[in-house]
Amino acid sequence: MNTRSWAFSGDLSTSEVIAVGVLLALSIVLLLVELRRRERLGGAIAASGILGTLMLSFAVLRPVRVTIRGSMVGPRVVVLVDQSRRLLLDNQGRTRRQRALDAVKQLQRQFSDARLSVLGFGDGKARPLDPASLKTGDSADLTADSDLAAALSGLAESPGERPRAVVVVSDGRLARPAAGADDQALRHAVGQLHVPIDTVSVAEKAPRDASIRAVHAAGAAVAHQALVLTVEIGCAGGLDCGDVPVRVRELRHGVKPALLAKGVAHVENGSAKLELSITLERAGNRVVEISIDAPDGDTIAANDRRILTFAVTRDRIRVLHVAGRPTYDVRALRMWLKSDESVDLVAFFILRTDTDDPGASDNELALIPFPVNELFTEHLPSFDAVVLQDIDAVRYRLARHLPELAHYVESGGGLIMVGGPSSFIGGGYAGTALERVLPVKLPDSARPFDTSAFVPRYTDAGRAAPALHSLRELYGDDLPEMPGSNTLGAPRKGSIVLWNHPDRKAGDQPMPVLALGEAGDGRSIALGVDGTHELAFSEMAAKAAGRGYGALWDGLLGWLMRDPRYEAARVQLVGDCITGEPTTLEVSRLPGMQGAIDLSVEKLGEDPSKPLSRHIDKPPSGSVKMKLGSLEPGGYTARVRIGAAPATRFDFSCEKGGEAWADSRPDPLRLDRIADVTGGRPVTSGSVGELPQPASTRIAAERHVSPMLPAWAWALLASLALGTHWLARRRGGLA
Amino acid sequence: MLALVLAAPEAQAFGQAGAFHPRMLLTGGAKWAGVRGSAPGRWAWELVRRTSAPARLTTAEVGADQPALVAEPFAIWAGQHAVAPLAASERRGLEQFIRLGGLLIVDDNDPEKGDFGRSVRRELRRVLPESPPVRLDPGHVVYKTYYLIDRPVGRVLGPPHLDAIVRGKNAQVLFLQHDLLGALARTPGGAWALEVKPGGARQREHAERLAVNLAMYLLCSDYKDDQVHAPWLMRRGAHRRP
Repeated sequence: MNTRSWAFSGDLSTSEVIAVGVLLALSIVLLLVELRRRERLGGAIAASGILGTLMLSFAVLRPVRVTIRGSMVGPRVVVLVDQSRRLLLDNQGRTRRQRALDAVKQLQRQFSDARLSVLGFGDGKARPLDPASLKTGDSADLTADSDLAAALSGLAESPGERPRAVVVVSDGRLARPAAGADDQALRHAVGQLHVPIDTVSVAEKAPRDASIRAVHAAGAAVAHQALVLTVEIGCAGGLDCGDVPVRVRELRHGVKPALLAKGVAHVENGSAKLELSITLERAGNRVVEISIDAPDGDTIAANDRRILTFAVTRDRIRVLHVAGRPTYDVRALRMWLKSDESVDLVAFFILRTDTDDPGASDNELALIPFPVNELFTEHLPSFDAVVLQDIDAVRYRLARHLPELAHYVESGGGLIMVGGPSSFIGGGYAGTALERVLPVKLPDSARPFDTSAFVPRYTDAGRAAPALHSLRELYGDDLPEMPGSNTLGAPRKGSIVLWNHPDRKAGDQPMPVLALGEAGDGRSIALGVDGTHELAFSEMAAKAAGRGYGALWDGLLGWLMRDPRYEAARVQLVGDCITGEPTTLEVSRLPGMQGAIDLSVEKLGEDPSKPLSRHIDKPPSGSVKMKLGSLEPGGYTARVRIGAAPATRFDFSCEKGGEAWADSRPDPLRLDRIADVTGGRPVTSGSVGELPQPASTRIAAERHVSPMLPAWAWALLASLALGTHWLARRRGGLA
Repeated sequence: MLALVLAAPEAQAFGQAGAFHPRMLLTGGAKWAGVRGSAPGRWAWELVRRTSAPARLTTAEVGADQPALVAEPFAIWAGQHAVAPLAASERRGLEQFIRLGGLLIVDDNDPEKGDFGRSVRRELRRVLPESPPVRLDPGHVVYKTYYLIDRPVGRVLGPPHLDAIVRGKNAQVLFLQHDLLGALARTPGGAWALEVKPGGARQREHAERLAVNLAMYLLCSDYKDDQVHAPWLMRRGAHRRP
């Protein structure tokens, strides 16, 4: 398309042109003032004078013709499509997302002249929407939130051409701008681009739905400390909820979920808040299920429960140390535990047996009864770890509590059994409930221990285990001679042997001396010797100033308490785990950890699903992402083993819809307000055709400038005009 | 229990390696002999008889300059006469023993004169110049590790307190001015080797209780200071005998 025009000058600046114009006007004014009272030839003088000055001005300016070749370019329009999973909710037979994608397709047809950019918005900046998802409707890259403010802010900050208009396609349940924002706040949140924002609402009516809209915790979760959860219940779509029972349970591995709290929410005006106090006894990732009993007519069952992962920290490690008799081994362990400021130690040592004769009345003795019943019933859950050291379970009435102790371990507690004549088989633990949570089997042997001195041997796993890394830094493969060993059986499936016996056998394998294992949610350690105090006080200990003992027990207790320093790997979820979407775990190995990566994922609960396994024989350096596919809603535990090192455990939760489905109500009014404050137009997905397309923009491609007359011609014309004016003035009697 | 310990040499190995074991600390080429020679074994025997703690009934001797000094965390330094200044190797050995966390009992067998006690304090000042002896509070855990006792006694009544070198939270060198070994010693025939004055048999019993408490302090450190014991001990405090 060509357009023609002209300009006063082709080479002078605008200010220079204005200066010429001012001089021209001034000359004409002066001329008119001069001729004000003159009657003779006044008109001729004036006309010739004006013509002369005009010609002189043109001679100076030299006017030009301008020819422009160019085209009309359609306006840039950005379509922002809500990427929240909430749009997967059903809306009268079709999902909101399907309606949104249909609206986008219609916009593409309708705004055929416009340059349309289709972006998805969710968490943070908007990203281009995969064209394939428009065709297939697939739901990749979905998010929990709908942060429109962040998306618009990102657009405003991005370089390049600004859009002439923005079209937002959503159900209006936006994270930002918030629901209660006034017009000024709304304008501030969405007005950075200073362009009209048209909105397309893909849902108008709330479904009949009772849901857990939000779960808030008052502060961080700390083991053994009460945590108040505020559960917000919502009822929408005309559903009559009334009183809604709420239940909070902890999902555990291999056992039934543990009920933490329950209550009833009284729903008024469509919502209710209920505060429930829970106490999580174990540190680390704990999976908690919050569920409601929804009334009849509820159309979305998935948001009747939330499955959340709480990262539970611990203030201090609360350790119960029970010893059957005081020895140097007991002394060393107690002194080490007492020296650690992070350990809250509760100790009970058997100082007197029925056969001892103290020769004094009870009032002269500083002895208290061993509160075995209280310890192993009401107080047991309050401990993070239990250390049983050389204590006879039968003689000291511990046997009856071994099932509770086993349950304690399976529920996430830590257990260390330290060797001695009254440990393991010698203490009557073989064949008991506790045996099943130990990392080794206890054969019903007539010989509970062996008195031959020996030096334990590191296994490959022992050399690789971060728990023994500090000890090996001090002594390498050397270990002190032990005065004997308990008889331990073969390791249980999944257990790791760190030290074994150089001569004794468990079956056809070397007998374990130090083994680590997992049972349910808990961990346990079997140490079949009573001589590790040699690392604290001996000629060998003196070489490292006694630091070897602390190095060993730091590692063992640290591993038992899942201290990340003693894990071979760190595991984390990439994004959220949402049913229907691929789940990926990222495994980062500790420096020095080598070997294949074995991943096993099991569902938490009484009947664990068949483990999902992944294996990478030769993993690349750096972190490794391992895809699990789509997982059903629930809690899961992932165990990652690097080479021969003990496995690292990572618990996580999967939900259907997750947080995005917590509030299923659309909010078309918010979209209307956004359109209003920005000068846009709100429409529904059924009336996208009403949206106006912004005007096109003319774009110049070539500009040609040519003089109207040559410069000499303007000079000649000016000379002639001025000459004529001179003659007229002479005739009129002017100088 | 004693029968078990003596009759089952295998069991002494496993389970007994960490048992209470009184070892006599020797310096300057001295030997452990004399009328109190049986006292360490008697100490172990009383511990086994009265408590659940295992003990080795044999008496061992260890030189302050021998590497074996740090093989176990307990030693008794006893004598009647002033000790000669320690050799450098002996000072190093003692310093290593204490810095590793060992417990040393200094028992003056002639507290009326006090030459031994004074000389040992002098030498320990050279070993641990930064840790002078202090008087233990009457509420110190050593007075309640097994028996509730009011004051230390031995063959002689001695002062009603104990001095100690305290490092960190632990009393690591305990100074007895009561001839505790004298109260424990027996003749080969089984009779008491030395007369206990002025309290006779009752004082000897209290000396044996002190010995048991010291052994329990070694084995359990401050166990009886744990909060869980406090209400019980508070109640019994009202019934304590003078």
